[in-house]
Amino acid sequence: MSDKLTDMRFIRFLLYEVYNVEELTQYPYHADHSRETFDMAIDAAYQLAREVFWPNYQEFDRNGAQFDGQHVQAPKGMHEIWRHCKEGGWFAPNISFDDGGQQFPMSIFAVTSFLFSCGNTSAAMYVNGTWGAAMLIDKFGSEALKAMYMRKLYAGDWAGTMALTEPDAGTSLGDIKATARKAPDGDYYLISGVKRFISSGDHDLTENIIHPVLARIEGAPAGVKGISLFLVPKFRVNDDGSPGEYNDVATAGIEHKMGLKGQATATLNFGEKGDCRGWLIGEANKGLPYMFELMNRARVFTGIQAVSGASVAYQWALQYARERLQSRDVTCRDVNSPQIPIINHPDVRTMLLKQKAFIEGALGMVLYCAKLADRMANSSDPEECENLNLILEVMTPCCKAHLSNASVESIIQALQCFGGAGYCEEFPVAQLLRDNKVFSIYEGANGIQAMDLLGRKVAMQAGAAVRALMMEIGATLAEAEALPALQDLAQKVQEVQNEVIETTMTLGAVGMSGQIQEYICNATAYLELFSQMLMGWQHLKHAIAAQRALDSETGEAPFYRGKIETARFYANTVLPHAVATARMLKANEYTALHYAEECF
Amino acid sequence: MKVAVLMKRVPDTASVFAVAADGKSVETGGLKYVMSPYDEHAVEEAIRLKEQAGAEVIVLSAGPPETKETLRSALAMGADAAMLVTGAENAGPRGLAKALAAALKRMAPDLVIAGKQAVDDDASQVPERVAELLGIPHASVITRFALSGSVATVDREIEGGSYTLEVPLPALFTTQKGINTPRYPTLPNIMKAKKKEITEVGVAELGLGAGDLAAGMAIESVSLPRQTRLKKIIEGEPAEKVRELVRVLRETEKIL
Ligand SMILES: Cc1cc2nc3c(=O)[nH]c(=O)nc-3n(C[C@H](O)[C@H](O)[C@H](O)COP(=O)(O)OP(=O)(O)OC[C@H]3O[C@@H](n4cnc5c(N)ncnc54)[C@H](O)[C@@H]3O)c2cc1C
Repeated sequence: MSDKLTDMRFIRFLLYEVYNVEELTQYPYHADHSRETFDMAIDAAYQLAREVFWPNYQEFDRNGAQFDGQHVQAPKGMHEIWRHCKEGGWFAPNISFDDGGQQFPMSIFAVTSFLFSCGNTSAAMYVNGTWGAAMLIDKFGSEALKAMYMRKLYAGDWAGTMALTEPDAGTSLGDIKATARKAPDGDYYLISGVKRFISSGDHDLTENIIHPVLARIEGAPAGVKGISLFLVPKFRVNDDGSPGEYNDVATAGIEHKMGLKGQATATLNFGEKGDCRGWLIGEANKGLPYMFELMNRARVFTGIQAVSGASVAYQWALQYARERLQSRDVTCRDVNSPQIPIINHPDVRTMLLKQKAFIEGALGMVLYCAKLADRMANSSDPEECENLNLILEVMTPCCKAHLSNASVESIIQALQCFGGAGYCEEFPVAQLLRDNKVFSIYEGANGIQAMDLLGRKVAMQAGAAVRALMMEIGATLAEAEALPALQDLAQKVQEVQNEVIETTMTLGAVGMSGQIQEYICNATAYLELFSQMLMGWQHLKHAIAAQRALDSETGEAPFYRGKIETARFYANTVLPHAVATARMLKANEYTALHYAEECF
Repeated sequence: MKVAVLMKRVPDTASVFAVAADGKSVETGGLKYVMSPYDEHAVEEAIRLKEQAGAEVIVLSAGPPETKETLRSALAMGADAAMLVTGAENAGPRGLAKALAAALKRMAPDLVIAGKQAVDDDASQVPERVAELLGIPHASVITRFALSGSVATVDREIEGGSYTLEVPLPALFTTQKGINTPRYPTLPNIMKAKKKEITEVGVAELGLGAGDLAAGMAIESVSLPRQTRLKKIIEGEPAEKVRELVRVLRETEKIL
């Protein structure tokens, strides 16, 4: 049925009409680029997503990754996907020409990864994970490690992972037990320990797999301050760069999961035989800060993954709603009249628009963040960089947590549009729902993101990050107020902004009084409130661009009118919930906190 | 060896189409344009030849200035250069063929490859007209191409079978699906494509006047395919049902 995975017109609108990513070509790093190269990259990614990733999507669910007791086989179709990504240079779009990349901005890379995730999110994870491992080596590794591993990863010759989690250390990474003992006779450490839930942890796609692993050097301080980052290859590398001896990284098994079945989520035993070598990345005991620097970016990508599922589900629901004939108009009394497409029923229309409004606001959020990252990476003005960084810091947990929460709700709406057919596996919507749930869990569970927002980001530098963000929102409000057609929208966003400021101050007072548990106990609700403000703000930015296009009569009026109406729908139907949440937060609601355990 | 590929920029057939207010054309606002899919096979075949035998591949198109974007996609697949003929946008198949033939005369390729038809108007005649104007042999709807010296051996698809032909170069061929799988543009090739040249030539420069480009036909009206589903249930014994079904398909629906 639908081979449309997303609305490409809307993505172009965001890139060129709202965020003006073309201006990034002014920076020397992107000087070889133009709108033409951006468009070609996006079109090529969409073509791959539709023609190579997507045809494997349901197949990955039915015949996922397999473990034969020793080795893991990736789903069959993954080999072809990998080959195309390798040939296409998709492991390193943003990396420098010197290191084998094409120096695309993150804004374009974010879109191409979004499209791959739309096509097949399990598959896209094999590719993105490899990029992430390479980035860690790129940023923090020695020249020797870079020469030996990084280019092979960026080229897609080898694959990479990220090995943090252990059976007793998921959220609480300070409790990691894996150890590293300095080899007496070499430049390496002997690693031992168990890592669990490792995405793309083992497979037969490449001749080698490179694991960045968090472990504790013997005698290191307890807690987060004693964790180091190691590079642990599955096969040691010979001097000529070819994979050599097996490095004692054994696969204990792969998980049987609710979704993402194409993904080999592996338990890995490092050093079962006492012969697993790891090389320190960067300095000792700095493993967590290194990892978090990358994870921060990865969290925006988790938001992107989440929206991709919602986008595909929406496209399917939309087409189904246009084709499924059921019932008659509520005012129609003629039982002999033909049944009508369900898109004409107000409730179905509302369900569709809820999804569309979520997806558009969400894509706005992630592309806004990507553009911030681009400006930060290219700006030579330290003050500007610091300001951009602060905004990115507050928005990151919201991108990760709000988008992954709300994408599941959005897919539920899509599934509902299908009625009984949605509950069956013929259509891909049920799978999209199952696949999507994990995004609220990995890369730091959403509850942890909420505490990060309220406990760290809001408080950082005496509130400087929130102030920097509020200034940006204020600038958008001022722009909108100058456009008579958008004043009602601007008012609603401003109302929520005021609520956020008041709530933050009320909670801040609780925190200052030393009631830390009370301060943090509604962090999730606070994150939702905060994120809805961000979404409303993004919609307003889109509405401004759309209104200007309408005013200058450049054509495509229905598209632009639709954009403004979507923003209005969000402001009118979602933002009131934000106001209600704010009221709850200001009312010192601690029932759950004080609820006695024996009463459960 | 010089290989020219004829390429057309067409609306993506996945788009939602509407008839324009004049009733004689398609509404173009918001349409996304792509390379006609059969032309992708032509470009692919030319690039394979380049990889195997070291040919120079030039992609040629006539169309509006935006056609350059589509030519760029062909360059990103690996073609070496491109030429755009402007001023023949409304020419129709006959005038278009004249414009392309004039450009090809300048280029003097050893081999011309085109898609078997463009998926916008499905006229299926431009490449054949071009070959006639150039006075070179042509074979259409080919599913296999092999070159040995200056003779091409090709399979032509025909109803229920195929012809194998030997054709001396220079010659023109049109490609059918199945001849190859077009490659996807790669990021490195996209960056390289940016640096490749697209030459622009106006029809006047090619010595063509308004008379040459006259469409030679007028479009009376454009309509969308019938959307409604007509349900008809055929009753009876299996044998009767089949007979009736075949009759309906043949006589009423004229599908067989
Ligand atoms: C499909 C999949 C892929 C994964 N891929 C990787 C990977 O590639 N690499 C990797 O290292 N890990 C990976 N993980 C692991 C993932 O990051 C962890 O599952 C996640 O961090 C949560 O840890 P946990 O499962 O141990 O849950 P727990 O830490 O036990 O958390 C359980 C619940 O308690 C809450 N909780 C815990 N502590 C607190 C607290 N202090 N305050 C408030 N609430 C708290 C959590 O929010 C959560 O809701 C993956 C997991 C899955 C399911």
